[in-house]
Amino acid sequence: MQKLGTILLASFFFLNGAPAKSQTIQFEKYTLPNGLKIILYEDHSAPVVAVTALYHVGSKNEDTARTGFAHFFEHLLFEGTDNIKRGEFDKYVTNAGGALNANTSQDRTFYYELLPSNQVGLGLWLESERMMHAKIEQVGVNTQREVVKEEKRQRMDNRPYGSFLTEILKRAYKVHPYKWAPIGSMDHLNAAKLEEFIQFYKTYYVPNNCVLSIAGDINKVELKKQIEAYFGPIAKGTLPINRPSIKEPPLGGEVRDNIYDNIQLPAVLDAYRAPKQGGDEYYAFNVLSTILSGGASSRMNKTLVDSKQLAVATQAAPFFNEDDGLFIVLSVANMGVKVEALEESMDSVVNGLKLRLVGEREFQKVKNQITTDLVNSKATMAGIAESLANNEVYFGDANLINTELEKYNKVTREDVLKVAKKYLNKDNRVVLHYLPKEKTTK
Amino acid sequence: MKKQIYIALICLPFFSMAQTVDRTKSPAPGKAPLIQVASPVKFTLANGLQVFVVKNTKLPKVTATLALDVEGFKEGDKAGLAEMSGQLLKRGTATKSKAELDEAVEFLGGSLSTASGSASASSLKNNFPKLMELMAEVILHPALNADELEKVRKQTISGIESSKDDADAISNNVMKKLVYGANHAFGEITTTKTVNGVKVEDVKNFIKTYWIPNNAYLIFVGDIDPANAKALAEKNFGTWAKGVYARPIYEKPAIPATTYVAIVDRPASVQSVVAVASTVNLSKGSPNDIPSNVMNNILGGGFSGRLFANLREKHGFTYGAYSSLSPSKQIGMFSAEASVRNEKTDSSIQEILNELNIIRNTKVGDTELSRMKNYLAGGFARSLESPNTIANFALSIAVNHLPEDYYQKYLTNLAAVDAQKVQEVATALLNPTKMHIVIVGNAKQIAKGLEKYGPVKYFDMEGNEVAAPTEVIADASLTPAALMEKAIAAVGSKEALDNLKDVQLKGTASVMGQSLEMKQTIVVPGNSVTTMSMGGMAIMRQAVVDGKYAVTQQGQQAPITDDLKEGLDESASLAPEQIYLAKGYGLKIVGGEKVNGNDAIDVEVTTPSKKVAHRFYDAKTFLLVKTSKSEEVPGRGTMTQQQYYTGYKNVNGVQIASEQLMDLGQMKINIKYNDIKVNQGLKISDLK
Repeated sequence: MQKLGTILLASFFFLNGAPAKSQTIQFEKYTLPNGLKIILYEDHSAPVVAVTALYHVGSKNEDTARTGFAHFFEHLLFEGTDNIKRGEFDKYVTNAGGALNANTSQDRTFYYELLPSNQVGLGLWLESERMMHAKIEQVGVNTQREVVKEEKRQRMDNRPYGSFLTEILKRAYKVHPYKWAPIGSMDHLNAAKLEEFIQFYKTYYVPNNCVLSIAGDINKVELKKQIEAYFGPIAKGTLPINRPSIKEPPLGGEVRDNIYDNIQLPAVLDAYRAPKQGGDEYYAFNVLSTILSGGASSRMNKTLVDSKQLAVATQAAPFFNEDDGLFIVLSVANMGVKVEALEESMDSVVNGLKLRLVGEREFQKVKNQITTDLVNSKATMAGIAESLANNEVYFGDANLINTELEKYNKVTREDVLKVAKKYLNKDNRVVLHYLPKEKTTK
Repeated sequence: MKKQIYIALICLPFFSMAQTVDRTKSPAPGKAPLIQVASPVKFTLANGLQVFVVKNTKLPKVTATLALDVEGFKEGDKAGLAEMSGQLLKRGTATKSKAELDEAVEFLGGSLSTASGSASASSLKNNFPKLMELMAEVILHPALNADELEKVRKQTISGIESSKDDADAISNNVMKKLVYGANHAFGEITTTKTVNGVKVEDVKNFIKTYWIPNNAYLIFVGDIDPANAKALAEKNFGTWAKGVYARPIYEKPAIPATTYVAIVDRPASVQSVVAVASTVNLSKGSPNDIPSNVMNNILGGGFSGRLFANLREKHGFTYGAYSSLSPSKQIGMFSAEASVRNEKTDSSIQEILNELNIIRNTKVGDTELSRMKNYLAGGFARSLESPNTIANFALSIAVNHLPEDYYQKYLTNLAAVDAQKVQEVATALLNPTKMHIVIVGNAKQIAKGLEKYGPVKYFDMEGNEVAAPTEVIADASLTPAALMEKAIAAVGSKEALDNLKDVQLKGTASVMGQSLEMKQTIVVPGNSVTTMSMGGMAIMRQAVVDGKYAVTQQGQQAPITDDLKEGLDESASLAPEQIYLAKGYGLKIVGGEKVNGNDAIDVEVTTPSKKVAHRFYDAKTFLLVKTSKSEEVPGRGTMTQQQYYTGYKNVNGVQIASEQLMDLGQMKINIKYNDIKVNQGLKISDLK
């Protein structure tokens, strides 16, 4: 569980950029006439390259009657193109000894190929085909619709606590499109006509809505020519892009609910409304999160798991986005522990942050952990390419990868106390108790 | 070199802007990149500790790995000692509790891990000197505390217990014992008994014997100068006292004179785990090393291997079939494995042996060979991104005595592997006439016909040879009806059964390490309620009360079918054989088998709704000892549920099984009734 904490935290920073003072990422950024932004980072330390494409479309861009579209496209766009037969997209990569995948958030969709560096051309070909020639056909839509339903069954319906994000989001947001999770509604996907999928592709999968970020053992001068050849001929998109500018009002009081799931051990989830990513408060919040659950010696692990043995697992999970985010604290109860007792202890750990300043040694420990995590996030070309692209899309500042540590260094113990007092309040949170299903029918 | 390729690719658009690349096909790869595998700086401390430094300034970070030069630990009747000792190292030092140690490591933003023959520490370079002190403290002055050993023992035993239900784990254990032999360090099996034999004193001795500087490597990778590394090594490990390590010489395992079949009988199995294995004379860095890796990947490497294509794609015997080939200084091993449907056990062995013969007798085609080489080259290149790979290379070069440029030249040597060489290594290493064929499965259903591959022998799950399961033959004069009468009489006399008005059983059910409360109440005639609950909340409830049937599972009502009603009626009777006789169930004695070591008679019972179940009665006592039921589940094949009955207790002259083990394949439920009450005067209205 301690491991889980670190991994989650690390992957979080991974998503949001990662600097270390001594390690400057010297990248180059330019834009093609069709609007495609290119970021190149040359590093010859290993013969590998990460070719990534980030499209600035996530579930928040979706029509309220067509939720799940952005994530659906993440699947559909592996189906094939005019020049790549159905089912062969990934074979090109695995046969080259590479790996590929994609993921969708509420804000963006991200595709990547990790290749030996002499196969960088393959990555360009695949990504440019995806942007230019994807086949949006009924047969592919039907196939992937079943795959997505299976994914939903496997990852949300059948997995213990798998519905937690959906359940939290719909209670934490009333008006903002963050109120639905990227998986969306299966009914919406069933109802959608082929024409709507084609329209979505033409709207969002255009060069002027994409950052092509490539990091690794490349030769920039020559790679630029190849990029021009593969991506230059793709036409700029002209359809209007839906970028919601909805401000979610305050929660206005604690929201509580019980969720009955196929689980053995109950769980408590507290989701506090939190600021959007990138501001001073955001950095303070990440420090706070590490105090609570970063490693074996963190407060939640030490108190809830080791000393009181109330929980078998506990975790603080910052869920920050382009618009106002959430800060989630969750624990899975130990055998025979009542959720009420668990919630009380979680509250007492969280409230400790509001009552007094974090001790100096503990504060230093957390800063040290964060510094290490930021450095580690630059260990792979894939991580660097993704950070650069995220920072460019979210903040218009790819260079944040080189300056983010300073922002963490500026965070003081008083800042942590301040965000704790401002946000970690009962009237600002959703509390869910996950309970074994039987209780309802007893 | 790479440049020329790029120019070739891009010069078209360069000369004519309207022209573009050929989009109809994937671009050709550039020339294999030149791999720069840094050579470490090496030195040896006075106490014999060999230190390597691979400087890599990509990140301001340092990792130190300490590795013992030991291949396998000979542990004998304390098998498991090495692994437990490795875990115990990190659970406190002479001056720090486990919690204090965790805090100290995390204060440095670092990580520290230990195992049986290695330890590793990693942090940013500024904190690294302090982390090194903690690492040395853990290795030189571990607490090796008895309480902590008990925690480690508990975890180890629960791991062993759960692997007893795991046919793959049984297969691995028996395979290594048969292939390497019990006297070889590689052939030892860790059991609850050997783990219970481990004492703190043993751990101390283990650490003293093996964890010595003159048989260890300390490898630094990262942003550190060799001079600094040397100073740190001297300061922290300079005082580490030298020891004496006598490198054991293991006898080379004997190769079987002919291929034979080793069956581990597991009557509960609905799938056979089939492994075709042998030792191979293959060490890292030998001329056959790289070609044999190509050969093994063609044969059974992942989704693109031939075994997968044959056993899964073509025949549908299994979900996956793979081979592995591991080189070793001592002795290498080859195995080809698959988990297959019972009835396809024989055919699967045949197909695996066929594939071994094909790769020995025919040359691999160019496309298949070059695809595999691309795949391996790409994976190799990508692995270099991790600095740990470089550390592993340096260590591998040292302990395997490889040429210094082994990894530098890996891709060139890989590229040079041709079809001729692949066939040569296949012929040299794979000998289908001298293989161990290890099968973990239901002997009764699968053993027939396997003699054609060689002598058939039987082993228990710890790899000891045992007698073949004897065929249990039921007394031919016994009619099914007579057997039912005997079974009823075994439960109790007519008078005893008639006198029983109500029964209440209370106890526990353990499922995957969790304990649930179990309760069954029977009110004669024909009423029964069974509940399984946790912390007072019902998880499952099955009831037949006053002719009304209800089953609730995980809070959901199950639809009531005819066979469900039949099952509930049976559950309300202490001797359901009475129902079989009264309602004319189909009854047939179909043979026998050993159940928990005793002969049992197998009766096939067909209910009025045409559901078939098997009931096994002890051949001597005629008490029910096992039931078995199979069902087709769409998309998942045949699912078999078996239930074992033991711990019979005499209650008012009636025999009641106080222990029941339900085996659902992936999951087992162990029910123990410790509180049995009868004739409390319960009424139907008490069945809520």
